[in-house]
Amino acid sequence: MPPKDAEKAGKKDGGMVERLRSTRAGEALDLRRRVRRLEAEVQECRALNIRLAELTDIVTELLLPVAARDEDKLAELLEKYRQSV
Amino acid sequence: MSTAVRRLPGLGPRDRVSGVRVDGDGVRARARQEAVLDVFFDGRRILSFWLHRDGVRDGDGWLFAWPKTLREFLEGTADVRVVVTRTGEEVFHGEVSFGSGRGRVAVVNQNGQPISLDKYLRRVVAFDTRTREELEPMLDAIDEVVAALREVGIEAFLAYGTLLGAHREGKVIGNDSDADLGYVSRLSHPVDVIRESFRIQRALVAHGYRITRYSALAFKVDVEEADGTIRGLDVFGGFLMDGYLHLMGEIRERFEESWIYPLGSTTLEGRTFPAPADPDRMLAAAYGASWRVPDPAFHFEPPATTVRRLNGWFRGLRVGRARWDRIYSRVLQGMPGPSPFIEWVADMEGALGTFVDVGCGRGADALHMSERGEPALGLDFQPRAFATAQELSVDNHLVTYWPMNLLEIRQVLAVGAIVAHRPGRTVVTARHLVDATKKPARDRLWRMCRMMLSGEAGGRLYLEFLVKDGSDGYAGEQRVRRRKAAKIVAEVEQWGAQVVHRETIPVSDKPGASKVCRLIVEWRPADATEGR
Repeated sequence: MPPKDAEKAGKKDGGMVERLRSTRAGEALDLRRRVRRLEAEVQECRALNIRLAELTDIVTELLLPVAARDEDKLAELLEKYRQSV
Repeated sequence: MSTAVRRLPGLGPRDRVSGVRVDGDGVRARARQEAVLDVFFDGRRILSFWLHRDGVRDGDGWLFAWPKTLREFLEGTADVRVVVTRTGEEVFHGEVSFGSGRGRVAVVNQNGQPISLDKYLRRVVAFDTRTREELEPMLDAIDEVVAALREVGIEAFLAYGTLLGAHREGKVIGNDSDADLGYVSRLSHPVDVIRESFRIQRALVAHGYRITRYSALAFKVDVEEADGTIRGLDVFGGFLMDGYLHLMGEIRERFEESWIYPLGSTTLEGRTFPAPADPDRMLAAAYGASWRVPDPAFHFEPPATTVRRLNGWFRGLRVGRARWDRIYSRVLQGMPGPSPFIEWVADMEGALGTFVDVGCGRGADALHMSERGEPALGLDFQPRAFATAQELSVDNHLVTYWPMNLLEIRQVLAVGAIVAHRPGRTVVTARHLVDATKKPARDRLWRMCRMMLSGEAGGRLYLEFLVKDGSDGYAGEQRVRRRKAAKIVAEVEQWGAQVVHRETIPVSDKPGASKVCRLIVEWRPADATEGR
């Protein structure tokens, strides 16, 4: 059962799940589940490396040449962007 | 390296293989300890396997069943030998009859070249079927790619099986079938080494090479040989971080820079190539301490922590791709006609500025639109898919095919920007794409469509996907999985679009026919600045 559902179920049956959790086996299960979630979250963070590299690449390769050709337009775009953040 | 020693079968004194029999099912044998065996047909090595790992229990012994990749060749008679790889001891030799038993078993590819199975039991043209002269073009290709990499500031060296063969025997490994290069970046952060890999790719493309990316840190360089055949050389990127060498595809080991640089050299088939400063340590990192003992059935078994790191940092660009690569690896004859879907789209639309088919496959719909006079662009991640259409349309300047992978955002943004700048109305179609991809790829599709379709001239996205799996086998035929229409509608709405038409139709008038949903989607110009 995902942790969220466990919490809900715990409330419904008067803390039964909470009581089970406080046993040693319950704690081990709970920790195992938390480690699994943490591993998934670490993977999500690792995936940002590739996204960041892709975007940096496109910015350095495309935006800089664009800037060199049309300063006014870029200034306008930048100002508009600045106002929107 | 106790794990590596344990992993290597054949070191124990009780390493006896007995009771070996060969028939149409496979190879049966008894062995208390794990054993690596080579199978020869008519004197030629066909495959190697680990008896316990690759076999199943069979009475008091083991059965290694002939793999699917070999079975279709098993017709006729062969002089079969089974040999223990490590000792060379022959444990079976006899004439074996397969199927009708008529003629000799011929394990050859479409061109008649003898093939064998590699360590993953895939069909390859292995080096042991080639003469020294036939290896020469590959050695030239290695030289060429090493030089091209040096020109962009990358010091590449022989890696994996190629380094193993060179350093151990000065020769290519007979059961190997390709050449591997590696390099270790001077940079040490995943983001930086990925950007460097992109830069290398750009430089090689500028030199005229075709690159196929495996991950954000590894790619294949196609080199054209003198006789026109294309050879792919794998280039695995790596870097040192926190005292560890990380090298695609499977290495993460404690390592020192001085074990790599300055590069040394090694001899392969009488020619000199760059090698890491300490090849022994590099090979131990790749194959374990037992790298000196040949094992043609070796499988990489890196620890989960290594796989997780390399996957998380660098992989995910080829999700779901192997299946399509396999489909398009065959030579597909002829050209299919236009789909009923594209005829429906054409009826709905007038003259266009640009027609784009995302996930165009064989490219028939894009070709059809160009024949109606519309400038058409077909996009697919596997260029072999549309190769025939491209050949058929050399004189047709209205149709273009580009390779594009929805999971590579650099490609998606660049294609999106180029199409967005084209004048006139744009129509994008995606037939059986959203039911063949998962959400990360679909999000890139919606992003690209928004770029292409929210300009002043406007345009539409037409989708067709499976919503009801009938008893007609349509899903398997199209290789798609049913999607809930409401889910797809919600996705496009999240990306600022509106569904202006929706219908569900059967794919044929047969009973039990599957049903597809057709959507017409629009981005109004104002939507372009909203949303994500």
